[in-house]
Amino acid sequence: MLSMRNLSRVYRTDTVETSALDQIDLEIASGEFIAIMGPSGCGKSTLLNMIGLLDSPTSGSYRFDGEEVAGLPEAKLAGIRKRSIGFIFQSFNLVDELTVRENVELALLYHGIGAGERARRVDAVMDKVGIAHRARHRPSQLSGGQQQRVAVARAVVAAPKLILADEPTGNLDTVHGEEVMRMLQLLNAEGTTVVMVTHSPAHADYAQRVVNMLDGRILQERRRAA
Amino acid sequence: MWRNYATVAFRSLAKNRTYAVINIVGLAIGIAACLLILLYVRDQTSFDRFVGEHERVFQLQATNTDTETGSSETIQNTPYAVVHALAKDFDAIESFAYTHNDQPVIRDRTGAPVQETIMEVEPAFFWIFKIPFIHGDPRTALKDPNSVAIDESTARAMFGTDAAVGRTITQLSSEGPSDYRVSAVYADLPRSSHQAFGIVRRLVEGTDIHPDQVNAWGWFSGTSYVKLKPGQSVDPINAQLDAWKERVAPRYEAAGKSVSEAAQSTFKLVPLADVYLSGADGSPSGRRGNATTIAVFAGLAVLILAMACVNFTNLATARASARAREVSLRKVLGADRSQLIGQFLTESLIVTAIATMLALAVVELSLPWLRSWLGADIAFRYLGTDGLLLPTVGLTLLVGVLAGLYPAFYLTRFRPAEVLKANKSSAEPGGSGRLRNTLVVVQFAISIGLIICTVVVYAQLTHVRTMDPGFDREGVLQIDNLERGQVKPLAETLQREIARVPGVRSSALTSIGISTSNTSNLGVTLPGHARELVLGAYSVDHGFAETMGMRLLAGRTLSRDHALDDASLGLPPDNFTSEQQRAAEEALQRRGINVMVNESSARQMGFRSPAEAIGKQISMSMLSRDGHGVPATIVGVLGDTRFRSAHREVEDMILFRNGGWLPYLEVRFDGDPAAVRERVEAVWKRLAPDVPFDAEFADERAAGLYARDEAVGQMFAGFAILAVIVGCLGLFGLAAFTTERRTKEIGIRKVLGARTRDIVRLLVWQFSRPVLLANLIAWPIAWWAMRDWLNGFDARVALGPTPFLLASGGAAAIAVATVATHAIRVARANPVGALRYE
Repeated sequence: MLSMRNLSRVYRTDTVETSALDQIDLEIASGEFIAIMGPSGCGKSTLLNMIGLLDSPTSGSYRFDGEEVAGLPEAKLAGIRKRSIGFIFQSFNLVDELTVRENVELALLYHGIGAGERARRVDAVMDKVGIAHRARHRPSQLSGGQQQRVAVARAVVAAPKLILADEPTGNLDTVHGEEVMRMLQLLNAEGTTVVMVTHSPAHADYAQRVVNMLDGRILQERRRAA
Repeated sequence: MWRNYATVAFRSLAKNRTYAVINIVGLAIGIAACLLILLYVRDQTSFDRFVGEHERVFQLQATNTDTETGSSETIQNTPYAVVHALAKDFDAIESFAYTHNDQPVIRDRTGAPVQETIMEVEPAFFWIFKIPFIHGDPRTALKDPNSVAIDESTARAMFGTDAAVGRTITQLSSEGPSDYRVSAVYADLPRSSHQAFGIVRRLVEGTDIHPDQVNAWGWFSGTSYVKLKPGQSVDPINAQLDAWKERVAPRYEAAGKSVSEAAQSTFKLVPLADVYLSGADGSPSGRRGNATTIAVFAGLAVLILAMACVNFTNLATARASARAREVSLRKVLGADRSQLIGQFLTESLIVTAIATMLALAVVELSLPWLRSWLGADIAFRYLGTDGLLLPTVGLTLLVGVLAGLYPAFYLTRFRPAEVLKANKSSAEPGGSGRLRNTLVVVQFAISIGLIICTVVVYAQLTHVRTMDPGFDREGVLQIDNLERGQVKPLAETLQREIARVPGVRSSALTSIGISTSNTSNLGVTLPGHARELVLGAYSVDHGFAETMGMRLLAGRTLSRDHALDDASLGLPPDNFTSEQQRAAEEALQRRGINVMVNESSARQMGFRSPAEAIGKQISMSMLSRDGHGVPATIVGVLGDTRFRSAHREVEDMILFRNGGWLPYLEVRFDGDPAAVRERVEAVWKRLAPDVPFDAEFADERAAGLYARDEAVGQMFAGFAILAVIVGCLGLFGLAAFTTERRTKEIGIRKVLGARTRDIVRLLVWQFSRPVLLANLIAWPIAWWAMRDWLNGFDARVALGPTPFLLASGGAAAIAVATVATHAIRVARANPVGALRYE
């Protein structure tokens, strides 16, 4: 599905040069569930942003679905993102001014899908993650777990091939964390590729492959016995 | 998608009430100001367009240049002879009409005498000035010299109906009553007309036009119009007029040279629709627009609107961090930048649209007030060619896009990866704070500038109203109409009877009164000087100086006791031969006369002090034959006076008594003005029942001199208030959002030991600095503008530092007050709360 070769990302300020990613080689196949782990500042999130086309590499190659995407203009990247990628964040990132339903619908707005079709798909996905009864509420009226379920619904409603989750359970208690993990597992079982950054070894166990990072490099990869 | 934009926009507004109110109120003020000014500009530029085929109609205007001073004046009055000569020589002219306003006394509905304006016109008038007729035919209305056409409201006032054709209007004059038959009734002219005629009658050459006037090119007595043939352009005519007048104008001999009567005049045909704003003096209706004033007001309205747009931009960027997450999220979900820019423009358009609704309400509510204040019947409707709908929609779109464009680009610049990372609001990109400060500086510069202008205008108006005019304005009643044929023979009786009215102390007839428009100049030669001085020369009666309360600086005033104080020729009132006149003038030349001069005249004549002028002899060219002076001895020097507007310089005056044209009677009185006036009026009505009593108190008349200036002052004050409100709204909003953003910093400062006082000082200083900087921009511009305005006055206040300091102090105080309340609240908050917040 995607492959990175010699991929580096350097942040420059006037005086300091920080290498966030250093010569990364990474292959991810369709249908995989991958967890990325490592201490704070090791470059996990930068790598995830890179995969999600939210950031561009300083050097190296990145092929997404067989197409070279390093150095593509922002408009092209936005197009790929909206067709193929769903995002889940640690802090949910719901829009406070919109209801649950409208937040989920947001992911379909830029796809040029008719209102009727949108409503059908939003209803279906809200049912699936179990927040249909909260459709008219505002994010601030929900618990953290419920908010993250809305975020998951929003990430999957456009049926992306790839879901990127940046510490999706980081702000949740154990019970709600497990809930979200089971949801991701279910999505993966249905064929969606999932890449997740996490600090929790327990949650990393849901993944088929765990990538350990340190100081912007991939330290080791370990495949979980199926 | 648009529904989603709208949803977010409305909910975001509802959530941030302060933000919404500041933007909406600010924009509403700006839009309302713009729409009101638009209505005003439309009114001012729509003059005379109601006249049918007005594109073919032109007014003849003259520019007279004083060869001595080089100053020139353009007037709407032209000689009778010129338009006649013009029509004869230019084929492109289809028809022409000379018009002249007379102010006779007619009988009103009850039979009482009233002074009315009757316009005397040439036959083609209604062909040129095409207006709707209600009764009668414009082609035949003026056929009979004894008939008149009247407008609808005159018809109703005189006869109670507009069906007045065949009724009679009676004019009263010294020769007795004369009747005019109403031949037609036309619709009232709209107020947007440079002309005003309620009664029109045919002009009769010989009686209405003096025989000497027929060919005189120096007699600027009336208004002339021409209508060109269809398809003809005025430009070739105007291009030829200079050469034409040199060729055609009569010539006379002066000092052995042949001089053209039109040597000092140039002529021009001005399109009817441009007359009102042409700047030419002598409008027949007194209505005259000022293109500069319109431009200044339009500019100010646009400035206020710009300030409101600045508020929108400033608050939107200051609040950007609050929206950063939503923007980033939308980007992550696949929105491209143009879609997001579209979203923010939608938002600013929604805000602007709400503001426009509010503005329209304000406009509709303030319209009656504006109408009466401007004295204009300003039209207001939404639909139609001059409807307000189109400009309103246009303005809304324009403002929405202008205000929203920068924030739209600014807000969509965020990089989503940074913003979304740790649930943190993105740090502000550098530079936007500087832009905001710059914009605040500009806003306050506008406010301070307008406050300075307002203070200067009011200081000047107070100055001209309260300064010493050189005479006593209190307790003087000025009565007009003394020169009317029916009153003239009674003048002495009237004066004697009025003198007996309880409260009246003295009275005097005069040719120069308070706020009168006539000027009269005479050439004066001093012994041993070749050059002639041209000085204002006015005939006054004995006791004029005393009645007016003028100061006597040296010598004495004119009195009945000195034979030479009387400079009259002693001719019978009418019917005298030129031989009699010549004999009388020669006698006057032999015996000489006594005159009074004012200080300024004495100085012009070269006397170092008033006392030095006493007893000196000058020669005045006051006889009908050129080159023959009357020896005049200066017996008194009076202090300078301002009988007229302070815009004009102090007039040089030579006062003498020759019993000539004396249309005003000044009456000095003690006690209750209204009671005295009533008793004087009773005397008038008893002695001169055929002439209306037209009198005004000197102080009231003087106050009327500055009505225009006062309107300017009020307009400046209005705009200044609006500018300050809009500016402060913006400042308040900025303070609110910036302090909100600095909550954490303030918390840390407090934990580190800062007192409330320190925090307040910090915040207040942050927002006062731009206001102080604004002075640097505002002061020079306001100084320059006000120096220019003050130069239009001869008597003016010094442009000292007071208005500048006052305006700056005021603006700073308002700004500090605006910010301080907020700063105190933030500074008092418990720092723990602030720090836990992140």
